[in-house]
Amino acid sequence: MSITVFLQYCLAGISIGGIYALIAIGYTMVYGILRLINFAHGDIFMMSAYFMIFAMVNFMIPWYISAVIVIVSTVALGVIIEKVAYKPLRNAPRMSIMISAIGVSYLLQNLATYLFSALPKPYPDIPVLNRTIYLGEVSTSLVTFITPIITIAAVAGLLALLKYTKIGMAMRAVAKDFETAQLMGIKINSVISMTFVIGCSLAAVGSMLYFTPRPSVFPLAGSLPGLKCFVAAVFGGIGSIPGAVLGGFIIGLSETFIKAAGYSEFSDVFTFILLIVVLMFKPTGLFGENMTEKV
Amino acid sequence: MAKDMRENVLRLSDVTMQFGGVVAVNNLNMEVNRGEIVGLIGPNGAGKTTVFNVITGVYAPTNGAVALNEKTILENYPQGKMKTMYKGENAGKYGKVQLLSPDKITKMGVARTFQNIRLFKELSVFENVLIAKHMNIKANVFSATFMLNHREEKQMQEETMELLKLLDLEKNKDDVATSLPYGKQRHLEIARALATKPQLLLLDEPAAGMNPQESDDLMHFIGRIRDDFSLSILMIEHHMQVVMGVCERIYVLDYGALIAEGTPSEVQNNPKVIEAYLGVD
Amino acid sequence: MMTKKSKRICTVIALAALAGVIFCIGEFASTSSMLRTVLQLGSIYALVAVSMNLLNGFTGLFSLGQAGFMAVGAYTFAVLTIPVAYKPGVYYLYGVADALAGVSLPTWAGLLLAGVLASLFAAVIGAPVLRLKSDYFAIATLGFAEIVRIVVASSPLNRVTNGSLGLNSIPGYGSYYTPFFVVFICIAIMVMLMRSSYGRAFKAIREDEIAAEAMGINLAKHKQMAFVISSFFAGIGGALMAMYLRAITPTTFPVLLTYNILLIVVIGGMGSITGSVIAAFLVTAAKEWWLRFLDVPMVIGGFQVPLLRTGFRMVVFSIILMLVVLFWRRGIMGQNEFSWDGLCRLLRGERRKKRPGSKNSVGGGAVNG
Repeated sequence: MSITVFLQYCLAGISIGGIYALIAIGYTMVYGILRLINFAHGDIFMMSAYFMIFAMVNFMIPWYISAVIVIVSTVALGVIIEKVAYKPLRNAPRMSIMISAIGVSYLLQNLATYLFSALPKPYPDIPVLNRTIYLGEVSTSLVTFITPIITIAAVAGLLALLKYTKIGMAMRAVAKDFETAQLMGIKINSVISMTFVIGCSLAAVGSMLYFTPRPSVFPLAGSLPGLKCFVAAVFGGIGSIPGAVLGGFIIGLSETFIKAAGYSEFSDVFTFILLIVVLMFKPTGLFGENMTEKV
Repeated sequence: MAKDMRENVLRLSDVTMQFGGVVAVNNLNMEVNRGEIVGLIGPNGAGKTTVFNVITGVYAPTNGAVALNEKTILENYPQGKMKTMYKGENAGKYGKVQLLSPDKITKMGVARTFQNIRLFKELSVFENVLIAKHMNIKANVFSATFMLNHREEKQMQEETMELLKLLDLEKNKDDVATSLPYGKQRHLEIARALATKPQLLLLDEPAAGMNPQESDDLMHFIGRIRDDFSLSILMIEHHMQVVMGVCERIYVLDYGALIAEGTPSEVQNNPKVIEAYLGVD
Repeated sequence: MMTKKSKRICTVIALAALAGVIFCIGEFASTSSMLRTVLQLGSIYALVAVSMNLLNGFTGLFSLGQAGFMAVGAYTFAVLTIPVAYKPGVYYLYGVADALAGVSLPTWAGLLLAGVLASLFAAVIGAPVLRLKSDYFAIATLGFAEIVRIVVASSPLNRVTNGSLGLNSIPGYGSYYTPFFVVFICIAIMVMLMRSSYGRAFKAIREDEIAAEAMGINLAKHKQMAFVISSFFAGIGGALMAMYLRAITPTTFPVLLTYNILLIVVIGGMGSITGSVIAAFLVTAAKEWWLRFLDVPMVIGGFQVPLLRTGFRMVVFSIILMLVVLFWRRGIMGQNEFSWDGLCRLLRGERRKKRPGSKNSVGGGAVNG
C-alpha cells in the first residue's frame, strides 16, 4: 500500500467516522438524559435524506436553502416523536419506552416504504460538494474533506453550548440526576426537547454528508448506520459526547481499513464483535461513568 | 452475659469496605452467637446496610474476612488500584481472595430482608415463599418441566403452606404481594427469608414505617421466630424501643467504624453513642 | 367458580373444538384460502413469540436476537434436509460442500437439530452477553443477530449456505397439520416449564434480580438456562418458517422480523403465553388478510378512496402497534394466563381485583387456572 493510497483510506475513514460521530451524538445525548436507546434515530437519519430529495427534486429548491429546510424538518420530526411516543411513557418501566422506540422505528420504515416506495431513490447531486479536489497526490471529493471539519466544528460548538449556556448546564444536571434536577426546578421537558433538537439537527447534517457521495436512499438505509453509530456511542462510553465522537472515528477508520484489506463482507461483523467485546470488558466504554444499583 | 459459652455463628474480622476513596465500613469486628438477637444501630449513612451487603456477598469486602460457624466464607485484601488507594487498617493481615455470590451465601444458611422491601411484586404470596424453596431443588430443568419430580414439588408446596400457616399469612396466600398492607409485606419478606431455612437471619430495618402497635407486635414476632426456627438474628433498626426491647447485644456504628458494643443498657449510657446521635455541644 | 374437574373437562372440550376447527379448515377450505395461510403462519409466529416471551416477559431479559436464532435454525434445517437429488441444482453456482453432498435427514431430525444448533449458539454467546445490564443486553443480542445474517451470507460459507442466493427446494410440510402439531408440542413444553419450579425462578428474576439472588437463585445459571431454552424453540420456529417458505435467503431474517415478534409479544402481554398465542394469530390475520384491502386502490361510486395503495397496510399496522404500546401497555392478557374463572368473570361483566398500578385485563385469575 503506497503512502498515497494509505492517506486516501485515512481520509475516507475519518470522513465516514465523522458522520458516524454526528449520529452517535444523538444516541448518546438521548441515552444520557432519558436512559433510552432511541432505536428510531437511524430512521430519522433516513427520513432526513428523503426530505432532501423532496426539497431539491420535487420543489427544485437550491441546495443551500434545502439544507436549512431539511434540518428544520428533521428536528420537527424528532421533537414530535419525543412528544408523542416517549413523553407519555416517562414514568413507565424502561422496557416499555424501549419498545415504543422500536415501534417508532418500525413505523418510520413502513411510512417511508409507503410514501417513497421500497425502491432506492436517487439522492440529489450537489455539484459543489461532489467536486473533486486534490491535496498533493490525494484526490477526494470536497464532501469527504469537509466532513471531519464540520464534525469537529459541530462538536466544539455543542461542547461550548453545554459548558457555557444555561440550557447546557440544565442538560448536564438532568443527565447526572433526573429527579433531583426536576426538584431543583429545571424544566425537564424543554431540556429533553432541546436534546432532540440537537441530536436531530446533527443527524440531518450527517445525513446530507453521508448520502451526498452515495447514489441512492431506500427505507432501510438508516437502520444499519444507525446501529453502527449506537455501537460508536457505546464504545466511547454512553452519555459522553467526546466518547461518541472518538467512537465514531474509530469505527469509521477500522471499517475503512477492513474494507481496504479485502474483507468488506466482514466490516459490519467487526463492528458488532467490537460492541460485544467492549461491553464484556469495559461495559461503561472509554469515557463512561460507573453506575451501581443501590441495594 | 455468658457470651463466650455460646458457639459462634457469624464473625467479621477487620472488615473494611471502601468505594473508590470513600470508606463505608472501617475495620469492623463483630460477632453473632447461636441463638442471639444482635442489633446493629447507628445514624443514617453509618454503613449498616453496607455491612449486610458484605455479609451476603452483594459487595466484596475490600479487606478482612467473614466467617460462618468458624469457617471463613469471605476473605479479601486490597489489590490493583485499591492497593494505593486503601485507607483502612490491617492491610497486610489477609492474603487470600475468597468471594462468594449472594446465592451461595444464602445456601450456606444466611437469609436477609431488605430495607426497601424487595418482594416479587406481581407474584402471589404463596409463590413468593415457594420460590425460596427452589434453591435446594434436586430435579434438573428437564425432569421438572416434565413433572418427573412431583414428589419434590409437592413437598416444596407443603412446606411453604406450613410456613404460611405458622406466620399467619395463610389467608393471603393467593393475594398479589403488592396488594398486602405494608406491615404484612414486611412479614412476607421475613417468611420468604425463613423459607430458605437459614441459621442466621439478617433483618434490615424491619420496623421501618410501623406504628407503635405494629412495632410492638414485630418485637414479639422476632422473638418467636428466633425460638421456633432456632435462629440467630442480626438486625438493623432505628426504632430504639424495638432494639432495646428485643436485642441482647448491640453494636453501634458511626462513619463506618464501631464506636460501642454491649448490652442495651450499656450502649444507652455510652457517651460516644449519645454524641454520635445527638452531636456534641 | 368452577370445580377443578369441570375446568379440566372444559379445557379438553375447548382443545378438541380447536382441533376440530383446524381439521375442518384443513379438509374443507380451498387450498388457496387465506384462512389456511393465516393459521399456519400464525402458529409459527405463536411459537417464536412464546419463545421470546420466555425471555422478555418471564425472565425479564430484553433480548432482540430472535431473528438470529431463527436464521440459525432455518439454515440448519435447510442444509440438512434438502433432498440429495436437488442439491446440485440448489448449489449450482458454488457447488455443495463435500460433507453435505450426501446428507438429507428426515424432517423430525432436521427440526430437532435446528433447535439444538440454535441453543448451542445461545450457550456460546450467552456466557458473556448475559452479564450485561438490560438495554446493553438488548443491543448485544441485536448485534449478534446481525452477525449471524452477515456470516450466513459471506463467501467462505458459500458451499454450505449458498451465500446471498439462499437455499431453495426445502422440504415443505408433510401434511397440513404438521406445523400445528409441532407448535402445540413446543408451546406445551414451555407452559410446563413455566409452571415448574424453574419457571418460578425465572419469574423471580424478572421481578427482582437482587431479591432472587438473595433467595439462593443462581442468576447466571438460570439466565443462561432461559436463554438457551428460548433459543432452542426459536430455532425450531425458524425451521418451521423455512419449511413454510420452501426457500430462504439471509434477508428472510432481518431485524424487522425480531421487531415483528416483539410487537406480537407486547400486544399479547409480556409474561403471558396465552396472550402471545392469541396475538400471534390476530396479528398475522390482520397483517396478511384483514388489512390486505388497504394495499389495493379502491374506487367507490367513481370516487377514488384516498391513501389506499401498496404499503398503506403496514403503515396502518404500525400505527395500531404504536397505539397498543402507548395506551394499552399490558396488552391483551397482561401477565395473566387464560383461565376459566377469568372467562366466567369476564362473561358476568365482573372486573378482577385491581392490582395497584396496573390496568384491568381480560382473563386473569390464578396463574395456575
